[in-house]
Amino acid sequence: MNIGTIAQISGPVIDVDFPDGTLPRIREALSVEVDGARRVMEVAQHTGGQTVRCVMLSASEGLCRGLPVVATGKTIEVPVGKATLGRMFNVLGDPIDGEAPVPAGEPHWSIHRAPPSFEELSPVVEILETGIKVIDLLEPYPKGGKIGLFGGAGVGKTVLIQELIHNVAMEHGGYSIFTGVGERSREGNDLWTEMRESGVSANTALVFGQMNESPGVRMRVALSGLTMAEYFRDEEHRNVLLFIDNIFRFVQAGSEVSTLLGRMPSAVGYQPTLATEMGELQERITSTRNGSVTSVQAVYVPADDLTDPAPATTFAHLDATTVLSRKVAEQGIYPAVDPLESTSRILEPELVGEEHYRIARRVQEILQKYSELQDIIAILGMEELGEEDRLTVMRARKIQRFLSQPFHVAEKFTGTPGVYVPLSETLRGFRAIISGEMDEYPEAAFFNVGTIDDVKKKARDMEDGGAL
Amino acid sequence: MATRDASAPLHAVLRSAERPTWPQEERMLSFLERKYGQLVNLEWVEDPALRDGFLLRVGLDTYDWSLEGRLRQFKDAMSHLERADGQDVIPLIRETVRSWMPHVTIEETGEVRTVGDGIATVSGLSGAMYGEILLFSDGIRGMVQELRRDEVGCILFGDDSAIESGSAVRRTGRTAGVPVGEEFLGRVVNALGAPIDGRGEIRAEGYRPVEHPAPGILDRQPVNRPMETGLLAIDAMFPIGRGQRELIIGDRQTGKTAIALDTMLNQKGKDVICIYVAIGQKASSIAQLVESLRRRGAMDYTIVVSASASDPAPLQYIAPYAGCAMAEYFMEQGRDVLIVYDDLSKHAVAYRALSLLLGRSPGREAYPGDVFYLHSRLLERAAHLSAAKGGGSITALPIVETQAGDVSAYIPTNIISITDGQIFLESELFFAGQRPAVNVGLSVSRVGGAAQTRAMKSASGAIRLELAQYREMEVFTQFSSDLDEATKRQLLYGQGLMQLLRQPQYHPMAQHEQVITLLCAMAHLLHVQPSEVPACNRAILDYVQAHAADLCQDIDRNGRLDEAGRGRILALARECLEKRGQSGSVSEHAQQ
Repeated sequence: MNIGTIAQISGPVIDVDFPDGTLPRIREALSVEVDGARRVMEVAQHTGGQTVRCVMLSASEGLCRGLPVVATGKTIEVPVGKATLGRMFNVLGDPIDGEAPVPAGEPHWSIHRAPPSFEELSPVVEILETGIKVIDLLEPYPKGGKIGLFGGAGVGKTVLIQELIHNVAMEHGGYSIFTGVGERSREGNDLWTEMRESGVSANTALVFGQMNESPGVRMRVALSGLTMAEYFRDEEHRNVLLFIDNIFRFVQAGSEVSTLLGRMPSAVGYQPTLATEMGELQERITSTRNGSVTSVQAVYVPADDLTDPAPATTFAHLDATTVLSRKVAEQGIYPAVDPLESTSRILEPELVGEEHYRIARRVQEILQKYSELQDIIAILGMEELGEEDRLTVMRARKIQRFLSQPFHVAEKFTGTPGVYVPLSETLRGFRAIISGEMDEYPEAAFFNVGTIDDVKKKARDMEDGGAL
Repeated sequence: MATRDASAPLHAVLRSAERPTWPQEERMLSFLERKYGQLVNLEWVEDPALRDGFLLRVGLDTYDWSLEGRLRQFKDAMSHLERADGQDVIPLIRETVRSWMPHVTIEETGEVRTVGDGIATVSGLSGAMYGEILLFSDGIRGMVQELRRDEVGCILFGDDSAIESGSAVRRTGRTAGVPVGEEFLGRVVNALGAPIDGRGEIRAEGYRPVEHPAPGILDRQPVNRPMETGLLAIDAMFPIGRGQRELIIGDRQTGKTAIALDTMLNQKGKDVICIYVAIGQKASSIAQLVESLRRRGAMDYTIVVSASASDPAPLQYIAPYAGCAMAEYFMEQGRDVLIVYDDLSKHAVAYRALSLLLGRSPGREAYPGDVFYLHSRLLERAAHLSAAKGGGSITALPIVETQAGDVSAYIPTNIISITDGQIFLESELFFAGQRPAVNVGLSVSRVGGAAQTRAMKSASGAIRLELAQYREMEVFTQFSSDLDEATKRQLLYGQGLMQLLRQPQYHPMAQHEQVITLLCAMAHLLHVQPSEVPACNRAILDYVQAHAADLCQDIDRNGRLDEAGRGRILALARECLEKRGQSGSVSEHAQQ
């Protein structure tokens, strides 16, 4: 057994000396025992001589120089396969659901793997219905594709991802993996309880490394979850759903340890290796001929700045992006999707059909026109607009409201039951608005409803009630 | 232990008042040679201060047999006793005194190399742990922040001018922590838990580390019990539950502390312990706040932890963790705690100062890379524990100051992304007299809805979305002259609602008052000129209270309100309005 000693500690970064000169390899896991508990670190660098520099995967409190460290000879390995379903794990693949450990006989995979080769890849073509109007219409999600939900703090990324779990994972019936990266432990608890109650937990594995944990954990936990998904794709040839909330925390954790590892900081203090780190992770999340991984990744936008290096680097890897905006949230429109910033690679007539494409583009045009007119309205008032522009503004405001929708997962807070709107209904609704059929109905009737029939009903109720 | 050249004899220094006799010296030498396995060269230095014993230094190790050292050992032995939880300590003390034997213990001492700006590097102390407390001369404490190969970097919790290069440093063997206990209630303490209010010693019941892992996923349960603030605007639209983290954010002078203070006052008689942590504030404002709490009888269940602007940055840095450790003590007993961090932007600034001084490289806005982790590991410690863990809770109300209303700056967005919602206060609203100056569009509570009582939930309905829509409509129509009737009605209704949400400081509303107000508002009963709304509402409240006291009590106690009760309240409200002669329609008034 190769044993070294701790030589230096600075926060989560530890230097370990191996006096006999046999150094553990980069990414190898080392373990150290403090007060009877095992703590793990991962080798990041050989710094010359007999020293390796490692990142702790737990707190550093209580460590001291001279403690013996054991090189395990392996990288971090997590259990994979059916044994993971219905369970909840931490970054090391140890169950944290309070039940028995995964039997040693089950397959275990290293969390560090190579991405599939070029010839194994398969292109995406089919639309994945989500039941959320604004998504299905304007940025349809591809099956087996990579989807990013971008948003600043508190605009509803997690609620949207949970609604997607509710709508897609429950309909989909296949296996899903949920990975919590640097998010709230409370959300982990909510999700766990909810999945237990709704019965989808039998087909789901959960992996958590939340924001109270050390940067090393947040840097690696996305890989742990991804490895479990890869197994189902590569070995069992299945179509897997992978949810990651939140991929930004992976970058952030990397930047927390970067300077301590002795690297020079890059733009806005990020690690110089940002793009490669992101690339290594993202290239593994992909669909192959064998099976597919449809991934939904929440991406936190720090300081609401979409040009921040972390979200900017992530954009390039995605097939569809949904951008959540504070300006929309401020109007009380949820999901607070910015209809003009969000995009999808499959919004093409050949892929979604001529009709869908036409409606979506027309809706975007109207909204675009409205946003251009907004300055004029602010300065001169509505009266100064021509008849046609006025009509555009009225329709645009109705579209904006009709893009909102009550969510199932928000029902317990809002008291309004959620709705699932099939794609055909979504298309019918927006077709009616842009064709002018709905010009007679008051704006408020379009707010927070499901289908166009619900608008009509709400308008009738409003008239009857005399209220709003 | 520091590496030594094995061939050269080890140098040892013996200090004492009198020269040791030859046999004494012989014994010492043979002990040292046995211990270190090499030849030892012993030098004697006369030190008249050490009349009753000696100090022997070998390399970095010190053998302390001075009177002072032995007394310190005795004190340590006694102070460890205090940690025997709640048992009768007298027999324990007797036993300890009887069996106490001073030891010639090997004690690691280090030497200060550099000191300045609240940071010191110390040589030696090879066994020091990460996060351990070190004792400097003059009793100043420091905390280990970095363990380098040949030195230890630490931050100082006191005045660094009292420490000089070359002075001795002692290990304490324990990680940074604070004393905790019931007696802290009603007291003002500093970030290390020492009283600063001049009301005498506090008997601690325990000692808790300031850094403590947050409860895990399974140790929690969903937030499901309300933490009433007594503020209609918050309880109705952004309800807070026990175990939630709700950020209060806004420019300076927008009433952030006032909201926290009102919430603390409203906990009177609700069996909630309040902890107020002041970070980097003017000492005089803290004194004022304590006075205000004391006058209203809220100090009985409150602890104030103060790290004022003049305290060194390290103290400001650990203050919130210290406050949280005190809160956890109560939470683990199954009790409910409300903790206010006022404010975390100053905390981030203190941490930035420390980080830069420790030579860590700056990132966005010159904050270090781990400034998110700084706050996330603090706020994650607020939780609603599962029944198996006693079911206690910590509700955290962190406060963050923005510059010119910019919520999308770095620290504000960081903390927003940690908390379960935020209450955004706007200076424009504040100066327009809309107080509490809550911005309805940007404020949110992610979990509180599940914690609202049934009465409150059914009464508040969709008031938040309606107000957000009203605000949007107001902006949209501000340049339009010809508004249709429906729009006018919606605007007037919105103005009325805004009036209702005004509430002076120190006037918490009971739950039944809130429920009645909301019921009437949502039923569009208050169709009067916006300026008359508050008076009209007051009249309704008095009328309903007088005629349906049982109903009010039921709401307050059980949070229940059935359909019949609802009907009764609305009927009473209509009756009251008729008597006032104010049940006329809006349009009449609008035309006048």
